[in-house]
Amino acid sequence: MEESSGNMRSSEPTAAMKKVREKTAKKRSKEEEEEEEEQIFNFKDKPAGKEEEDEDLSDSEESVFSGLEDSGSDSEEDEKESDDNDDDDDDDVTAVESKQPKQTEEEEEKEEVVGGVTEREEEEKKEDEYEHDSSDEEDIRNTVGNIPMEWYKDFPHIGYNLDGKKIFKPIRNKDELDDFLDKMENPDYWRTVHDKQTGSDIVLSDEQVELVNRLQKGQFGDVNFNEYQPSVEFFSSDVMIHPVTNRPADKRSFIPSLIEKEKVSKLVHAIKMGWIKPRRVEDDTRGRFYDLWAGEDSSILGRHKMHLPAPKIPLPGHQESYNPPPEYLFTEEELALWEQQDASDRKLPFVPVKFSSLRQVPAFSRFIHERFERCLDLYLCPRQRKMRVNVNPEDLIPKLPKPKDLQPFPTTQSLVYRGHSGLVRSISVSPSGQWLASGSDDGSVRFWEVCSSRCMKTVQVGGAVKSVAWNPNPSVCLLAVALESVVLILSPSLADRQVVQSSERLLSGQPEADTSDAAGPVIWSDTEGEELNQGIRLKIQHPKAVHQVAWHAKGDYLASVMPDHSSHLQVLIHQLSRRRSQNPFRKNKGLVQCVSFHPVRPYFFVATQRSVRIYNLVKQEMTKKLQANSKWISSMAVHPGGDHVICGSYDCRLSWFDLDLSTKPYKMLRHHKKAVRGAAYHRSYPLFASASDDGSVIVCHGTVYNDLMQNPLIVPVKVLRGHVITHDLGVLDVTFHPTQPWVFSSGADATIRLFT
Amino acid sequence: MSQLQARFFTKDKRFVVDDVPFSIPAASEVGDLSNVINQLLLAKNASHSKVDFDFLVRGQFLRSSLSFHMETEGISTVRPDWMILTGSYDKTARIWSVEGKAVMTVAGHTDVVKDVAWVKRDGLTSLLLTASLDQTVLMWEWNSERNKLKARHCCRGHTGSVDTVATDPTRSKFCSGSWDKMLKIWSAVPTDEADESDTSAVSSVLWCDSEEVCSASWDHTIRVWDIETGGTKTTLMGSKVFNCISYSPLCRRLASGSADRHIRLWDPRTKDGSLVLLSLTSHTGWVTAVKWAPSHEHQLVSGSLDNLVKLWDTRSCKAPLYDLAAHEDKVFCVDWTESGLMLSGGADNKLYTYKYCQTDAGA
Repeated sequence: MEESSGNMRSSEPTAAMKKVREKTAKKRSKEEEEEEEEQIFNFKDKPAGKEEEDEDLSDSEESVFSGLEDSGSDSEEDEKESDDNDDDDDDDVTAVESKQPKQTEEEEEKEEVVGGVTEREEEEKKEDEYEHDSSDEEDIRNTVGNIPMEWYKDFPHIGYNLDGKKIFKPIRNKDELDDFLDKMENPDYWRTVHDKQTGSDIVLSDEQVELVNRLQKGQFGDVNFNEYQPSVEFFSSDVMIHPVTNRPADKRSFIPSLIEKEKVSKLVHAIKMGWIKPRRVEDDTRGRFYDLWAGEDSSILGRHKMHLPAPKIPLPGHQESYNPPPEYLFTEEELALWEQQDASDRKLPFVPVKFSSLRQVPAFSRFIHERFERCLDLYLCPRQRKMRVNVNPEDLIPKLPKPKDLQPFPTTQSLVYRGHSGLVRSISVSPSGQWLASGSDDGSVRFWEVCSSRCMKTVQVGGAVKSVAWNPNPSVCLLAVALESVVLILSPSLADRQVVQSSERLLSGQPEADTSDAAGPVIWSDTEGEELNQGIRLKIQHPKAVHQVAWHAKGDYLASVMPDHSSHLQVLIHQLSRRRSQNPFRKNKGLVQCVSFHPVRPYFFVATQRSVRIYNLVKQEMTKKLQANSKWISSMAVHPGGDHVICGSYDCRLSWFDLDLSTKPYKMLRHHKKAVRGAAYHRSYPLFASASDDGSVIVCHGTVYNDLMQNPLIVPVKVLRGHVITHDLGVLDVTFHPTQPWVFSSGADATIRLFT
Repeated sequence: MSQLQARFFTKDKRFVVDDVPFSIPAASEVGDLSNVINQLLLAKNASHSKVDFDFLVRGQFLRSSLSFHMETEGISTVRPDWMILTGSYDKTARIWSVEGKAVMTVAGHTDVVKDVAWVKRDGLTSLLLTASLDQTVLMWEWNSERNKLKARHCCRGHTGSVDTVATDPTRSKFCSGSWDKMLKIWSAVPTDEADESDTSAVSSVLWCDSEEVCSASWDHTIRVWDIETGGTKTTLMGSKVFNCISYSPLCRRLASGSADRHIRLWDPRTKDGSLVLLSLTSHTGWVTAVKWAPSHEHQLVSGSLDNLVKLWDTRSCKAPLYDLAAHEDKVFCVDWTESGLMLSGGADNKLYTYKYCQTDAGA
């Protein structure tokens, strides 16, 4: 069908061209009348012929694709024809006539072709040169092309035909009247279309009119075309038994793409080389929002924040009522009392009054006054938010190391030295650490072997022993014993022979000293007989009761304390090698409790009831006065480094002085329940101990740093108990072993205990 | 040699006598011995009729007098653990028989005797050492037959109390440790000495073998000394004072008793000495004495200030095998006899012997 329609199309223009040629030829002849007659003649015949043709055409041209164009071309023809209808109808007739036989011929040819195919193909090949020529779509009756036809307005022709001859305009143009008449008379006027290109009128056929209508409605040109025919979807959501394609997956679907890899690697390289900068994160904080309060004064803001609303005035109660309940009304006494009271003492600032009705309530006379007071209150009492700091109380406790980390220190009682019958007032350990000397109220001095707690020696001295002190010099073996008003020098001969000899030498090398120090309050005397056998070598008779003896570190000087309120003679310093005594102080500065020598420097510590004075023995002046914030100092110990002093006092305190720091105690330790009787430093370990009447010895760790900026670290590490409290007295003296972290304590229960 | 100690055994149930040593005249012959047995049996059983016995001494028939027989067969009468030597705070040392009889009192020191040791105790004459607080070590020669004692040498040189003395395995040298921080090696035959210095009081010395001396000290160290060079070979650091050490050649370990109630076992072969193998903790006071069993690899006995003597087996270090609670006061020394008796002496002036594997026997 297509082919045939194609043939039809290609054949049509030729027919049209012939018609035009004939027309032009006729025009040139310009024999109008003849023409008219012919036209009329032809016109009469035309409808019959045309109807036939139309039927043929409709039959032959019922193709989907070519129908529109054909009809278009037809309509153009019709237009021309209709245009020409008036003047050269005969032309049209001839054209139609000439056309018709051709088409019929063709049809006949087609029917003939069925028999001989080869001939037909050859013919087709001839005609095919127009098939792909797009120019066949234009009307080639006029070859000017698709141009605005106004360009030919002023010319007598409207274009050129295929042969290059001018196509002349129809000679008589229609005027308005003609048009109107045509409109009125011609029943086909509405379907007549003017073809500008050829200047002819074309009357559209019914099919063409219908086609135009359909197109104007937006419908398909073909009536028979079903635009809603059911569609068959190849790809649907339903899973079919048979797949649409059973093709295996591509290799590229599971292998990473090389191209992408290449692209990525290029990007990575570019990033590495710095050609591509990573996108900058947009900073929202700056610029995007306008900080309204940025320029605000912080103090104003703070004031806004800290604003406190004024306290509200209390709401009126029953008293303020104009008709208060009777219990609120004042009685006579209450009224009298109210009037007597000062304005500031009154419970109520007014007297409740009862009125029978609200109307009778007078103006409030105190209104101005009350308002003024209120304003005054608000003005004079600034409302401020008090910042309370929430502090965890445990955070305030200093971080102290655990006692476990501060080993070694004495922890358990190891040995008990039994043998005394009275309370043991004083103990002292020999410099070697092998022997322990103790003085007791039973009038005896005992020497103990430290490691076995065996009493090696007992010396009866005939009086309650107040103090014993072992000579700190390891090359001599001497013990100073204070009892009553005598200081005894004992040579216990518990050492090497050479040591014993050297101590003998020290005791005997005296003679010229005696003469030089003639008139002193102190009498030195050698012992004889029984006392000498016991080991007592020297007696130093004092004028008053001696309380304490203390050796200088070199072992030659010995200080003795005779506490006395009234006298200036309270402390005496004896030189053993020259048997000389001197009173270092001229004035009485208070009741001297105990004295001690500085371990390395020529300083002398004197503890009175309230304070500790430090004297420079070389310059003979007081260098420092330490204020112990306690009522009555009982004991004192000097750190082996010489820069720290601890003082025990009868008001249960132990105060640590850092001499470089201050004259006030660096630390007060109030661990004891009762009076502190003794205090001691360890010679090498960072330990100190205090003994108290509550029967306990408290061992503390006290590290002293060489760095002056660092304060001593004081940690109580152990409470040692063991002594029995007798006559309200507990532990009377405490001392450390010179080499081991052991502490000895002597108590009122007549025992000495070793804690290790 | 006048008297001999003898025990009598038989497989015949009828003639069994008590298994106790009898003191027999050395000159007695077979007939005399038969008489003794008969007397004993009569005393036990009145219906006993006299029987002539034959006697086997170590598998040999006794045909002559006992003394002659022993001379010909070369049998020593003095059993090694026959005597116990003790030193005391009463300035004397004593020699005891195993039965608990004081055989001899060694008096000569001017001060407390701190330690004693046998140099040689086989044969008739035995040598013994006593160390004293008077800074001397005395060597005595004791003739057990005549019960005569003679001071052979007085070793002076220490300047502090001599706390410990030990004899070397070859019996030719001995070592003494003192409070003067010195350790002195003395030759037992001619007198010469070598000094080694410690840093604190030496509390205990012993000989590991003939070349090495081990000393425990109050400076918290155990030192192993080479006596040829006189230098320290190994130093084992402890944390507390050491009171005593003991070395067992069987298990090659040192046991130390210290002031912190623990008995610690050390391996002296480790160079750094940081390796404490075990610690035995049960005492509640200072451990003053510790001694390995001479014949048992794992047993040791310890004495403490808490009045207890404890027998330990190192395979069960959690608790002691036995608590020997005989003393009423501090225990200062413990020892073993070679036959396996345990000895302990204390501040209650008593010496106890214990026998293992039986009920504890006090003497």
